[in-house]
Amino acid sequence: MSQLRDLLGVAWSGLRARKVRTLLIMLGPIIGVAAMVSAVGLTESAKGALQQQLASLGTNLIIAQAGGTFGSQNPTLPSDAVQRVQNVSTVTSAAATANLSGVVSLPVKGAASYYEAFPVPVRAADDNLPQVLGVPLVDGRWLNGSDTRLHQRSVVLGEGIAHQYGYLPGEVRTIQLNGVNFGVVGVLGPVALDPDLDNAAFVTQWAAKNVLGTNGRPNQLYIRSIPGTTSATAAAIPTAVNLGGPDQVSTQIPSNVLQAAAQANKTLQQVAILAGLLALIVGGVGIANVMSISVIQRSSEIGIRRAVGHSRSKIASQFLLESLFVGLIGGLIGAMLGVAIVYAVSAIQGWVTVIAYRDIPIWMGLALFVSVVAGLYPSIKAARLEPLETLRLG
Amino acid sequence: MMASTGPDTPPLGTPRVSVEPLLELDAVSRVYGEEVVVYALREVSLQIMPGEFISIVGPSGSGKSTMLGLLGVLDLPTSGTIRIKGQDVSSLDDPTRSRLRGDSIGFVFQQFHLIPHLTALENVETALLYRDIRPKDRRERAARALDRLGLGAREEHRPVQMSGGEQQRVALARAIVTDPLMILADEPTGALDSANAAHVLEIFRGLESPERAVVIVTHDLTVANTARRKISMRDGQIVADEHRVAVGS
Repeated sequence: MSQLRDLLGVAWSGLRARKVRTLLIMLGPIIGVAAMVSAVGLTESAKGALQQQLASLGTNLIIAQAGGTFGSQNPTLPSDAVQRVQNVSTVTSAAATANLSGVVSLPVKGAASYYEAFPVPVRAADDNLPQVLGVPLVDGRWLNGSDTRLHQRSVVLGEGIAHQYGYLPGEVRTIQLNGVNFGVVGVLGPVALDPDLDNAAFVTQWAAKNVLGTNGRPNQLYIRSIPGTTSATAAAIPTAVNLGGPDQVSTQIPSNVLQAAAQANKTLQQVAILAGLLALIVGGVGIANVMSISVIQRSSEIGIRRAVGHSRSKIASQFLLESLFVGLIGGLIGAMLGVAIVYAVSAIQGWVTVIAYRDIPIWMGLALFVSVVAGLYPSIKAARLEPLETLRLG
Repeated sequence: MMASTGPDTPPLGTPRVSVEPLLELDAVSRVYGEEVVVYALREVSLQIMPGEFISIVGPSGSGKSTMLGLLGVLDLPTSGTIRIKGQDVSSLDDPTRSRLRGDSIGFVFQQFHLIPHLTALENVETALLYRDIRPKDRRERAARALDRLGLGAREEHRPVQMSGGEQQRVALARAIVTDPLMILADEPTGALDSANAAHVLEIFRGLESPERAVVIVTHDLTVANTARRKISMRDGQIVADEHRVAVGS
């Protein structure tokens, strides 16, 4: 153990004695690792905002849609569909919405002809829809149990519709659904996983049945599963809902699309990693070259060390450790430089910084490996030097 | 006091400390080249006893350097055997042989051969590396050796900051710090002016001890005549081996 400590000390002092040379041969691992860390970091950070959104939304949301038989106009799900999917063991929560077709929503009376031509979709929604979606309200509140109990005609607007209606936060506002006044109680935040919801108005199941005169049967389910079981859960849901009956159910995992969009540009990443690898290898050749010359320059030192009793293997280890230090320190500096580059560029570009810290040890290990391999030949050469020849006895 | 007459009693006049040679060359030859061979050393036999002060002299090409390499276990003989304290050095593997060299032999060279990027203290410490000595103890031992040679104030200086005489004393400190059985010097005063040479020679005389042998390879007769035993070489062979009475005491 103490011999190893001696060896580390000798190798370290050898590097410190020639600072400029040491710095120059460190450039290979520095540039190589910095290139690889910043290549991955920058390509990921360019999509960082999307990735961050995806992380906050989760990838475990499933949307189940009533398929209906061919030709049926408004396919629906059984009214107890939410209870049915909750029988699937991997489902953690679920909420239903029903498209209320034929309901015309008007922000102001005068706009009737426009909104009859381009109707705003109105949906009956469960009380827990925002929780299942993981989307907060940007204003006011969501529909709740008291709206149903007290027979309130409340409506929540999607973010896009609120904007279109010119709704101001906190404003007391009434809109008309099929000519009946509904009070706006809140605005739902943007739903990245199902942008359709941004352009909808939401009412309670009670209002859908009793005020707007629809059957209120759901045709869309929003389901959260235990993370990691999303695909299996999505596959199980149609059976859970139709229970062998005639109802057609199709499912989709909306985060898959977003995930694809959030993928970094892999080709660019790979090219940059290859460039970094190339820098490492060229740097390794540089290390081998400089160390070989160094062995010749330091032949007298090697002779002296042999004369005072250092064995061939100690000499070899000394030189091998020098190149190992070059790889280790160069890799470390390179990693820090790479991270700094990613932070700097992200700050300038206004990206969300994404750094794959888990990959950094791999790049550093690679730099270390290349350096040690590069140091092998010079080390063996150093160990083979005959002390008698290097000491020039007279 | 009566002298005992048992069979183990050494004959009169031999040193009492030990009768075993420190180093023994038995019909040693060293040949260079493979097809055309050149004898650098031919059938040389030699015993070096503890407490001896030996000079090896001879013209260039007489085999002095080869002899030095073999005595210092930096080289191995082509034929014949070399024993250090009875151990055949050819039979040892490199780590053991290196260890034996480090433990038993202290080298002093004409060109000093200090490691340029190390301080005086660190240069002396190199001889104590890989010996499981704690760094603190190692530094203390090295500092003591430097102190002994009057270089206490030069510990942190690098070789380029010191005079030739000082550098040679650092090299001497490095040679004695391990307390070796044999000091092996190659023209130790060759690169020094006469004042420094006299000083270094003075130190060599001070290194004499009953357990240790000092061997100086030189072609400087003043240096050679300091020694009590003078071995003359020519054409790879020992041509004279003179034991002399102590000079200058």
